[in-house]
Amino acid sequence: MHAASEAILIVEQLQVSYRSKEQARPILHGLNLTLHQGETVCLLGESGSGKSTLAKAITGLLPPSAQVGSGSLALAGGIAVDLADDNGSGSIPWQRIRGTELALLFQDARQALNPVMTIGQHFKETLLDHRKAKPDEVESISCRLLRKLGFTDPLVLLSSYPFQLSGGMCQRICLAIALCLEPKVLIADEPTSALDTVSQREVLSLIRAMQLDLGLTVLLITHDLAVARAVSDRVIVLDQGRLVEQGSVQRVFSQPKALFTRQLLAYRSQVSAPAKLRSTRKSSACLLEVRRLHKSYDANQPIVRDASLTLDEQEIVGVLGQSGCGKSTLARCIAGLETPNAGSILLRGTDISGLQGKARREICRRIQMVFQDARASLHPGRTAQQLVQEPLQYLRIGNKQERIALASHYLQEVGIEGEAQYRKPPQLSTGQCQRIAIARALVLKPEVLICDEAVSALDVRIQAQILKLLKRLHKQYRFSILMISHDVSVLRSFCHHIAVMSDGRFQEGKQASVRLHESSQPHTQLLLRCAGDLEEVRI
Amino acid sequence: MAVLLRKLMEALLTLICATVILFMLIRLAPGDPAVLLLGQPSEVAAMHTEVYEQKAAELREQWGLDQPMAIQYVSWLGRLVQLDLGTSLHTGRAVSAELAERLPATLQLTAAALAVQLLLGFWLGIVSALKAGTFSDQLIRLACVTLASTPAFVTGLCALLLFAVTLGAYEISSEASWSRLWLPALTMGLASMPQFARMVRANMLAELGQTYVLAALSRGLARRRVIGQASRNALLPLVTVTALSAATFASGAVVIESLFAWPGIGKYALDSILRKDYPVIQGYAFVMVTLVILIHLCVDVLYAYIDPRLQRKRRQVTRGVNEHA
Amino acid sequence: MHSTRRSVSLIAGTVLLGLLAVLIAGAHWISPYDPVQQHAAERLEKPSAQHPFGTDRFGRDLLARTLHGGQITLLSAMAALSGALAIGLAVGLAAGMFHNSLLDRLFMRMIDVLLAFPFMVLAMVVAALFGTSLFHLLLAVIAVGWVTFARLARSVVLQARNETSFAAARVLGASNRTLILRELAPKALSPVLILATFELGSLILSIAALSFLGLGAQPPTPEWGSMLADGREYVLQSPHIMFGPALFIMLSVLAFNLIGEGLRDRLDPYEKPQL
Repeated sequence: MHAASEAILIVEQLQVSYRSKEQARPILHGLNLTLHQGETVCLLGESGSGKSTLAKAITGLLPPSAQVGSGSLALAGGIAVDLADDNGSGSIPWQRIRGTELALLFQDARQALNPVMTIGQHFKETLLDHRKAKPDEVESISCRLLRKLGFTDPLVLLSSYPFQLSGGMCQRICLAIALCLEPKVLIADEPTSALDTVSQREVLSLIRAMQLDLGLTVLLITHDLAVARAVSDRVIVLDQGRLVEQGSVQRVFSQPKALFTRQLLAYRSQVSAPAKLRSTRKSSACLLEVRRLHKSYDANQPIVRDASLTLDEQEIVGVLGQSGCGKSTLARCIAGLETPNAGSILLRGTDISGLQGKARREICRRIQMVFQDARASLHPGRTAQQLVQEPLQYLRIGNKQERIALASHYLQEVGIEGEAQYRKPPQLSTGQCQRIAIARALVLKPEVLICDEAVSALDVRIQAQILKLLKRLHKQYRFSILMISHDVSVLRSFCHHIAVMSDGRFQEGKQASVRLHESSQPHTQLLLRCAGDLEEVRI
Repeated sequence: MAVLLRKLMEALLTLICATVILFMLIRLAPGDPAVLLLGQPSEVAAMHTEVYEQKAAELREQWGLDQPMAIQYVSWLGRLVQLDLGTSLHTGRAVSAELAERLPATLQLTAAALAVQLLLGFWLGIVSALKAGTFSDQLIRLACVTLASTPAFVTGLCALLLFAVTLGAYEISSEASWSRLWLPALTMGLASMPQFARMVRANMLAELGQTYVLAALSRGLARRRVIGQASRNALLPLVTVTALSAATFASGAVVIESLFAWPGIGKYALDSILRKDYPVIQGYAFVMVTLVILIHLCVDVLYAYIDPRLQRKRRQVTRGVNEHA
Repeated sequence: MHSTRRSVSLIAGTVLLGLLAVLIAGAHWISPYDPVQQHAAERLEKPSAQHPFGTDRFGRDLLARTLHGGQITLLSAMAALSGALAIGLAVGLAAGMFHNSLLDRLFMRMIDVLLAFPFMVLAMVVAALFGTSLFHLLLAVIAVGWVTFARLARSVVLQARNETSFAAARVLGASNRTLILRELAPKALSPVLILATFELGSLILSIAALSFLGLGAQPPTPEWGSMLADGREYVLQSPHIMFGPALFIMLSVLAFNLIGEGLRDRLDPYEKPQL
């Protein structure tokens, strides 16, 4: 867009490594990067590719264990610094650069605000410390900015604390605080990854609007292809600390040159391709029925209210909803982790909602669950073999030899073979951990498998692999799947039916995933529109 | 307000439970309670056996010692409420008066020692955290560990030896005067400082690892301001610890008071144990327990005001947000 | 840099503790004197080759008394601590596992009440009512000591219950027993043990302090605190009689504190930004 205009930020030969124990682990291998005035550049890469390290390195916020081998940073206005000087010498005038030249947005915006300070105090200290305003102007400046960012009642906001605000609101406030110093470059490090689709769209369109309005230059760091496609002018693809491709967004997405980019795009289209699944046969019996389920911890704020849903044999049903809509609580109720306040959960016609003790544990054979954070669900000190044997031990199934044989069989089924079966989670990749979690659930031969955001935290490559694996296992072992997710495209490609949840209830019953877009429900339409915008339409 | 009332009720319940324990302890003690409270016949030399027996019988009747335990407890509690803690066997005066006379000295010592602990511990803890991993950090930690390993009475004896005997800068007497306060306060404060410094350091390091510190730095805020914010948040959870240490302090003062002949209630209680003056011990225990519960109550209330996150009644802010930007 | 310093304090503590253990266990061979036998002719002698720590007011060899005293001090402290640890861990696990149940509330109420009894106060009351003896002192230690461990164990358990691995184990059919023993207890154990090393140190200090006040071990039993109390009246004329027990108290507490520091650093690694 502004390709011809002047360079505003130049990073050259940036090398960063992390020291751990005796060895140094290189993260960035001599990276070069140029940003031009007024453009939005997307730095695209998988987790661990070094993209966050780049953001921290050019703002001087690397932890002490990181070592800058070489690298220089040049900013408009003749500021040039040698980043390699940063290792403890303190010779770089960061205070002059941070805030006024470079502003930074963090992934978890609520964590980026001081929990015991009001939003107003954040503005105040930022403005006063930089002498950008006199004390009596602070309020008017912050109110003006907040209004610009879509808050209609900024005065209330100024006196509230971060914990009273949603994640999306916190991110917009962080943006406002960053903008109050009128920085030249905004570096946004995964600013929307922790948000649901609707807030994600809000924040991205605000960043875009501010960029056009204020002539801001934006470096957007993300792992999400849809985000990159929606907002950037130029894309830089990073793989394992090396720049593998850069070019205009149209060019990179339509004619990717690097093998890595091509793979990334292929996986994404695999994940989001519309389902080619036929709905299950009409005759199949109802396996699980949730009837008017109600769950609340605090009587004034029910999490799940009046939720009803059915799951047929061998059917895959998706539950779609934003964060906080109660979909995870629903899953936990079905899995027996929570006891519902009212309503029933029928498994082949028998109510299982109030069961306790031994009877409850017997249900574990029939309903299993896979969690979002697979690594956290596995005990770090046990081998894959032991982990898969665990449920067999808990429910006293088979003798020792049989358990080992069963565990090996299911581990092979999910692609953990040979020596990897005797490794522990810390030595395994995130994808492998999720595979173990799946094997551990399937070893009990369940009738229902609940996947609670089981692929949400994964890179698109691993996401595609896990979904493919689940599809294969589903075909082979003929269980039903209840897939909980906030990601429309994943659900559409994977499920027979989708039910949309908002505010603790289903506005309408499940519908064939191919017909989801025909729904007349406004909330469903909103979700689809936001997701669709990110998919195809540029913000 | 409702929270305050609930806390108050809880504190009251705790106090009642604590008095039950105290009462049981007294009743479980071997021997006749009347004899315990009156002193052994052999030790009450000025009294004839007949007079003693009569006194004991009077006491038994007055305290209802032949009645069921529950009734005894209630009447005992009734006297406690009226601050009737009995009469000292040694001086013959009311225990409440004796304790009230000596309480100010203990509070004075405790407050001074607490000030030493807080100022020194805060400073060393923050410095140690900011310089984590460097030589000065290690030096501070080593000094703290060594100090924490030295019994307070050894430090106290050394201090006495040095300042009172060798230098003659400290007067040994049994008066509670401001000029005599500094040495026991310093000894007591130094003994409890290392633990506090260690907690300050740990909390400060945890705060420095938070994203909001990075974010504040990324906005180009002055280093001093960022450190100030982090240290404020690091200190918040230490309010409880400080208050608790104030409570243990007042009781731990026994050692220091007896060593420096500081006329506080700790020393008085200790002397009473050696004199077998039971009413005093009982009164002392009651006063200390009440003091601790009061301090805990104050902390609970104070907390709600310091930390906005704990003000549960605050509603979620949803106004000021339009649906979609 | 951090890793090397970590091991330094752990190694130093362990070596120190080992050394003390050898000295104290080998008291008989190191110092040939009887710790209780009085020698009127050798009162208050200064340290010499014959009596490295000198003698006390009854002419007893202070080295022998210090080393023998160590057996009593350390063993009693450890016994009391194990008692408090066992009770505290059991209560903490149970209260955390059955959070908000009647059992939990009962335990929490008990803990609240016991927290109102400062250890010193309880020890003094017990000593006054039941007589001064080391055994009563240790009972008092256990009676209030378990509270700290129970509170820590409970808070760790409450945290662990919110972790995904706990939910995963429940979904996989683990019984309450399995959950406590396999999921919760291992997580609670390491912070509780670290606390225990620090507590052991402060326990030695408390027992010594109470004995110093005359409320713990009674003469002629050689015990560090009571040895100091014993020499209190003479300390201004012959300070050397304090040296032995004071040094050993310090060194043993130091050993436990160093081990605690080392273990704690290993458990909570930190990373602070460059300011």
